[in-house]
Amino acid sequence: MKSKIFEKIRPVLSFAGLILLIIVYLFAVNFKPSLFHLQTIIDQVAVMAVLSTGAVFIFSLGSFDISLGVSAGVSVCLGIMAYNAGFGLWGMFVVCIAIGLAAGLVNSLLSTVFKMPVFIMTMAMMTVLTAILQILLDGKTDLKIINDISGPARSVDNTWIRLAFMAVFFVVCIVLFNYTRIGRRNKILGGSAKVAAQTGISVAKQTIVTFLISGAAVGISAFLMITRSRSVSTTTGTSLGMDVMMAIVFGGMPLSGGAYSKISSGVIGSLSMVLLSQILTILGVSAGLSQVYKSVLFLVVVFVASFAYREKTLSRAEMF
Amino acid sequence: MSESMRNDAPLVETRGIVKTFGVVTALNNVDIEVRKGEVLGLIGENGSGKSTVTSILAGIQPPDSGKMLFKGQPWRPESMTDALNRGIGMIVQESGVIAGITIAENIALGEYSKFGKYGFLSKNAIIAEAKKALSSIGVDDIDPSLPAFTLDLQDRKIIEIAKVWAKQPDVFVVDETTTAVSQRGRQILYDLVKRQSEAGKSVIFISHDIEEVMDVCSRVTVLRDGNIIQSLDKADFSLDEIKRLMIGRELKGDYYRSDYDGSCGSDVVLSAHHLTGHGITDLSLDLHQGEILGIGGMSHCGMHPLGKLLFGVLKPSSGEVLAGSEPIKNVAQAMKNSIGYVSKDRDTEALLLRAPIRDNIVSAGLNKLIKSMFFIFPKDEKAYSQKQVDDFSIKCSSDLQFVGQLSGGNKQKVVFGKWIGAESKILILDCPTRGIDIGVKQAMYQLMYRLKKEGVSIIMISEEMTELIGMSDRLIIMKNGKIEQEFARSEKLTERSVIDCMV
Repeated sequence: MKSKIFEKIRPVLSFAGLILLIIVYLFAVNFKPSLFHLQTIIDQVAVMAVLSTGAVFIFSLGSFDISLGVSAGVSVCLGIMAYNAGFGLWGMFVVCIAIGLAAGLVNSLLSTVFKMPVFIMTMAMMTVLTAILQILLDGKTDLKIINDISGPARSVDNTWIRLAFMAVFFVVCIVLFNYTRIGRRNKILGGSAKVAAQTGISVAKQTIVTFLISGAAVGISAFLMITRSRSVSTTTGTSLGMDVMMAIVFGGMPLSGGAYSKISSGVIGSLSMVLLSQILTILGVSAGLSQVYKSVLFLVVVFVASFAYREKTLSRAEMF
Repeated sequence: MSESMRNDAPLVETRGIVKTFGVVTALNNVDIEVRKGEVLGLIGENGSGKSTVTSILAGIQPPDSGKMLFKGQPWRPESMTDALNRGIGMIVQESGVIAGITIAENIALGEYSKFGKYGFLSKNAIIAEAKKALSSIGVDDIDPSLPAFTLDLQDRKIIEIAKVWAKQPDVFVVDETTTAVSQRGRQILYDLVKRQSEAGKSVIFISHDIEEVMDVCSRVTVLRDGNIIQSLDKADFSLDEIKRLMIGRELKGDYYRSDYDGSCGSDVVLSAHHLTGHGITDLSLDLHQGEILGIGGMSHCGMHPLGKLLFGVLKPSSGEVLAGSEPIKNVAQAMKNSIGYVSKDRDTEALLLRAPIRDNIVSAGLNKLIKSMFFIFPKDEKAYSQKQVDDFSIKCSSDLQFVGQLSGGNKQKVVFGKWIGAESKILILDCPTRGIDIGVKQAMYQLMYRLKKEGVSIIMISEEMTELIGMSDRLIIMKNGKIEQEFARSEKLTERSVIDCMV
């Protein structure tokens, strides 16, 4: 019974959380948000929302790729190297996307050909990619874009461009997830690999398509990261993977993927996470303590999200 | 059970039990009592409340209101383990075996403290205890030290039986278990029921097979829509009367098909050529257009893997399957050739239990919903799914209801809707009426006959000989992975003649 009520309110729970955070944020800024505040939020949200929206596809399968953040870091690094080597803005963009797709392809092949559990495999991949990033930086702590002041990279350092990228990517993902076979098949596969296989869905093909979509998200978010910081360091993207996972869960994604996966959870969750960070910063909470607060809230959300699931698993109440 | 053993004081009783799930009343003031030495059969259509009342007795869920007494004392078990330890043990409909641990660990589950010393578990003691438990039900050929996933679903059920039986419960509840086990498991259960009754203990026996209930039980209580309709003593048992009480009306029309015309089209729509693998040896068969081909045999004769081989779920080590002239090597190719497959293991292979009815129904028909080469629109999905819900009269609040919340018969209707909606021309049905009640069964038989008349070809794999004889144009009996004998549809075909060639 409790789970039935929960199922009814679940679709709006994450949205209600976001509205609450917006209200608290407005309180924190005395109801006078400036354009600067808005731009700061959009800049932070854009990168995380693109990556999270791509990650929803993997999450809907009931898996998670923890290496997404570091993949973006490597993509940023090679994008900057391409730009510095004279390939221009578009060259940099293409390299970012190509690296993202390559990372997704490798992960999906390892998962399908060698039948490795995705989460464990991507944890190993995260270590490999972190090492690759350090090798690429060749002992330096960071790498910056050359001709930073006058170069074309500076010309795209614009909040509205980042917002446009995010919006277009989000719309494309909504279409793919809600209006094509890709999203339907992901939900079936997330519900049961056995049922999917007996419904003619190629688990391998679907996994590869899914990782390529999230790979594209890695590439785009890497490009957006470059437009903002125009540099890369050994730690670029390291915490992003975990932030993305938190954002998706905050955004109302079911922990087990499947039928109730929502493409909007990436954007709603990212916006919630960024607002929460902003609120904590305005309230003067230190970075360390802020991380603790976020983690506690994450645990609460996981507890609530798993509430209905546990009840369903343990009780036969719903069976008759 | 001998009359002399019956003690009229109820061993366990419920008084005015009410249980609701949202707006649905699953049990409405239910009073049942089970006396010592009695085998009480609970019978009713899917969703009548029989599993709900036993699950309450066995501590799986609490009632909303009402009283329960066990041995004259108030009964309110905290959990299934608590109930089992105190004397009421239930073998549930769904699988209760954990695949990743050993058979012995499964049997000892919840009792590990008995086998521990200084924080260490004695695996040998657990294995020895499990051997003893298995042996007590007459099973000596299962090695309890092996992981549970090495067993098939039917043998896993035997593990559950051993686990419950080892506790020597006063009330042994068997919920729809006989459909989930092989003939051997069924025999084991019947023996245990007899032993339980002879020892002056009690059994509550739930089954959809009315004849089985009439055979096994000394009294039958009929439930309908959460209400007790009537109890009948063995002397008053009558198949027609029980059917009438269950459904609340007479069954109209034929149960199986009434004709003995086994004719069908001459075109071969599906064929197997020298299939070998997964327990099948050099098997060839043809399915014709508009034919209902029955395949029967003992549970391990290879008929279940054969269904999967024909649908491309399993790959043969040699031989091939052809739909017309096109080879079928995987499920996608089978579906492209309009083949549908209803798995015996409905809950794990055919349905997404934690997804809405709509998602399940459209899952096999996504290609049919595509517009402008790429897009699927929710309104089309809704119409597609609603048509199947209406055509099959699936009892649900809406097609967005969780499939896991439906009764067995309605779940099976969803599986049928999934493949019929996809306009399958060849249906491979593995135990299509397993665990569903008589009303839905009849509807399924009528549907199969109608589909046959429309030119759909059907392979019906079943362990129920009566339905195979009742429905098939041609019946193949398998033994040890091979075709043992073939029977044409005939009025003279009897269960005995078919069973004789099975064993």
